[in-house]
Amino acid sequence: MGTSYKYKRDASRLFIAVRDNGKRYKIYIPRESNPVIDGNEKEIDFIEQDDFQYTFNFNDKQFYCELVSRDQNKAVVIVNGVEYKFSLESIFSYVRRGMISTGDDKNSANNIVAPMPGKIIEICLHEGDLVNAGEPVLTLEAMKMQNEITADCDGVIQKIRVNEGQSVMKDELLVEIQSIDV
Amino acid sequence: MMKKRLLIANRSEIAIRIIRSAHKLGMYAIVFRSDKEQDALYLKFADEIIDAKDADDEKPIFLNQQKIVDLAVQHNIDLIHPGYGFLSENPDFAALCIANNINFIGPSPELIRDMGLKTVAKHMAVEAGLPLVPGSEGPVANAQDAKEFADKIGYPVILKASAGGGGRGMRIVEKPETIERNFKAAYDEALAAFGNGDIFIEKYLQNPKHLEFQILGDKHGNVIHLGERECSLQRKHQKIIEEAPSASVTSKMREEMGAMAVRFAQKIGYYSAGTIEYIMDEDGSYYFMEMNTRIQVEHPVTEMITGVDLVDWQIKIALDEKLTLKQEDIKINGWAIECRVNTEDPQNRFSPQTGFIDKINFPQNSSVRLETGFLSGSIVTPYFDSMIAKIIVHGADREDVINKTLNALYNFNIIGLKTTVPFCIAVLKHPDFINATYTTRWVDKVYTPDMLENEDDEVIAALAATIMYASEYLQLQGDIPAYKNDALNVWVLNKRLNY
Repeated sequence: MGTSYKYKRDASRLFIAVRDNGKRYKIYIPRESNPVIDGNEKEIDFIEQDDFQYTFNFNDKQFYCELVSRDQNKAVVIVNGVEYKFSLESIFSYVRRGMISTGDDKNSANNIVAPMPGKIIEICLHEGDLVNAGEPVLTLEAMKMQNEITADCDGVIQKIRVNEGQSVMKDELLVEIQSIDV
Repeated sequence: MMKKRLLIANRSEIAIRIIRSAHKLGMYAIVFRSDKEQDALYLKFADEIIDAKDADDEKPIFLNQQKIVDLAVQHNIDLIHPGYGFLSENPDFAALCIANNINFIGPSPELIRDMGLKTVAKHMAVEAGLPLVPGSEGPVANAQDAKEFADKIGYPVILKASAGGGGRGMRIVEKPETIERNFKAAYDEALAAFGNGDIFIEKYLQNPKHLEFQILGDKHGNVIHLGERECSLQRKHQKIIEEAPSASVTSKMREEMGAMAVRFAQKIGYYSAGTIEYIMDEDGSYYFMEMNTRIQVEHPVTEMITGVDLVDWQIKIALDEKLTLKQEDIKINGWAIECRVNTEDPQNRFSPQTGFIDKINFPQNSSVRLETGFLSGSIVTPYFDSMIAKIIVHGADREDVINKTLNALYNFNIIGLKTTVPFCIAVLKHPDFINATYTTRWVDKVYTPDMLENEDDEVIAALAATIMYASEYLQLQGDIPAYKNDALNVWVLNKRLNY
């Protein structure tokens, strides 16, 4: 299901790396494909690994990395001889700490409400799943037509408020989604 | 005839370099093993090793004149090559070698001594007709005289306390309005600090270039020059990148400056390899600074463009051979750049790094000449300087050599210590270097460590940091059903998670 989507279900593979100068990277490490960095899949080949050293190939260039220190969630990495410092977090702790804007208007805009009265036929995702913008979240049957209801943003499914088979009113809150656009 | 025995009173890459020449000339190459660096790479290239047993000595063997000469006598040494640094420009050491019937590879102790005394060298240069930075020959009597003098030579000027040094007692004066006030302040300061209020005045070069001419002279009065090197790219007054020729020297200037260098060397009766240093102002005027009487770290760039082996000639000249090269034989072919690989942190004011080199991979291709005394597993000790390698690249022209050098630097990889390589990359990509407008003040005025960074490296760094974090994070979360995860097992992490 959804192999064309960059984010697969598993939100525990999504991390935020924040550099000491404040620059943020949103990095998703899927099980079997290239990493997704800030929403874009990158053709980064992994060449070699030896303890705390990695070699990558990216844009036809070799990148020699060395982890020089690791303290809790802080890491210092040397790439091609130059040091970069990051602090790292899972998307969950990032969301929990309120680092992603949760302003009511913006947040509620990402939630899924029933566009019309009807019946929930299928729910495609679970709480805690990662969802891509445009990916179907559930199917709603109304006037004998099945409608795919899709997510508006890349995000994490926070709460599913309905069950399959349940009838819903227009504008009823169905699914809460936390945007991961940082 | 018995093979001559040449002892190298030096270490690291220059020891290996000299061994190469010794072997080419059919000599035995002998080196010291210092206890301060027992497994150094250069030891593997020598025909014989003398154990210096300097663990309990006050200084390493390379600085211990008497011990070097005593051991040399014991081991029947014919010649000593001092390399650069250490005792290479110490007239007493040269004299001690000679007194013990050992041929010191370099000029006479008298020449080393004279050139080491700046005022003597400058005086001799003036006699040979070389220009000096305009300045008062003696102390200036009062503020009025200072102003008159400064008006004559032009601003900015620098006021120097004759008893000062190392930056103390110096004032730069930008305009005529402030010269008298500054003179009085400098005078009072000098008097208070040194008990001597003598003040010299000199033209201040704001953005100077460092140029130097390589010369070779024999003991029969023949002297030639091998063109210039530009060594303006410096940090803490030490060179990091050198190139030859210099884009700031026209062929007419080369002829003129080279002829001056030769005339100077001839006048003082110089023999061996030597370097005449000039400082050049933005308007192209140049002045004699000093003469170096040793082989220099950056000698390979001259060798690359002239095809002349300078170390071979140093040895042959020491053996009284005649210089068979004529000035007209010296042709400049293409362009060469040398990058010094120092174990220093360019992100942190070039602070020295010591320790273990886990892994080192040098660029290898036909346009790259590598001079190094280190390999994977070597230790950089705190006892010696931080230079571990020189990457010298030859190209058809300046643009070509810059590109080739960048390529070489991209293919250099070291794990374990930080080096000046990212700094060299940043310099070679900078418009000031590409346009050859860089000066000795470039590092102070222009350089910032963020020039070392680039977006791709940063992305990869973020990814690497994330992978390391993720592999532990996912293991920790493993038994919480909502985050259920076998392992981060495919893309890169299989090996890491199995340890």
